[in-house]
Amino acid sequence: MNDMHAATDEDRPPASPAESLRLIREQRAHTERSLTPDPRLVYWPWSFAWLVGFGLLFLEYGSDGDGPVEMPTWLPLTMLFALMAVAVVVMSVGLFRAARQVAGESTAKGTMYGIAWAFGFAGLGLTNGYLADFLPRAQAGLLWAASSMGLVSVLYIAGAAIWYDRTMFLLGCWLALVNVAGVVAGPGWQALIISLAGGGGGFVFGFVAWLRLARRR
Amino acid sequence: MSVPELDPVIHAQARLRVVAALSTLPEGDRLTFPRLQEILSMTAGNLSVHLRKLEDAGYVEVTKTHHGRTPATLLRLSRRGRLAFEEYTVAVRTLLDGHPTGAEPAHD
Repeated sequence: MNDMHAATDEDRPPASPAESLRLIREQRAHTERSLTPDPRLVYWPWSFAWLVGFGLLFLEYGSDGDGPVEMPTWLPLTMLFALMAVAVVVMSVGLFRAARQVAGESTAKGTMYGIAWAFGFAGLGLTNGYLADFLPRAQAGLLWAASSMGLVSVLYIAGAAIWYDRTMFLLGCWLALVNVAGVVAGPGWQALIISLAGGGGGFVFGFVAWLRLARRR
Repeated sequence: MSVPELDPVIHAQARLRVVAALSTLPEGDRLTFPRLQEILSMTAGNLSVHLRKLEDAGYVEVTKTHHGRTPATLLRLSRRGRLAFEEYTVAVRTLLDGHPTGAEPAHD
């Protein structure tokens, strides 16, 4: 894992001040990598859900309510929410793996944050389920898509505030902007915009966060 | 300029690594013994010895608790330990380039 303890006598002082600083830097970086959730697990499952889920929505609805691909009407939204459920599970695995055997405020923060996601989506699901019955199909799709994206974006921003994570903050802002742009563009286009800009953006942000963590020295 | 004294409790490879690892934890958090052992890749016996020395110096707080029926040992740097680590870092930097460069233990 690391070769810092290769010395035969660990009670011996580091060879030089430079060696002391190197030990400190490497040990801190190694520990931070271990205690930080893998950004790929946190971001990529969501990106995949948006790319595929919203991609299907666009293919079904197109820009004018009648898309280029024939498919059962329930498929795109069901797919989107199924993939988002998978994303919750995969993200939780990443968070729990980093937080295991750590006790204290971080664990409490993580639990409260998890509850925010659960309540947020429960309330949103119930409300939309009720309202969607009164809306035309395209508008109902827009309601589901825009409200869930809006919720995810503010939860990312809130998470960034809790852990002071700039990448997470920027991704949250990006998704919020993409979401607003999508709603302005209207049903159909909204799905295409979120699929490409939201899903693609999530992959890029996740990759950048992962690279930063891996290169920390 | 006088040569700064290096704290002998921290100025040993293994204990420096223990303190550096614990210094990354936010102040409200504690780490279990097995997780710290895994992060440091040290043997349990070796880690215990060094933790004992750090605890005797008042640098590490050791809390015994139970998760259900399993006993667990939780560890974190005490205030004094954090301060000692910061002073050590400043002293080492001073030795290295002849002048102190702030109290941040490591840059990101």
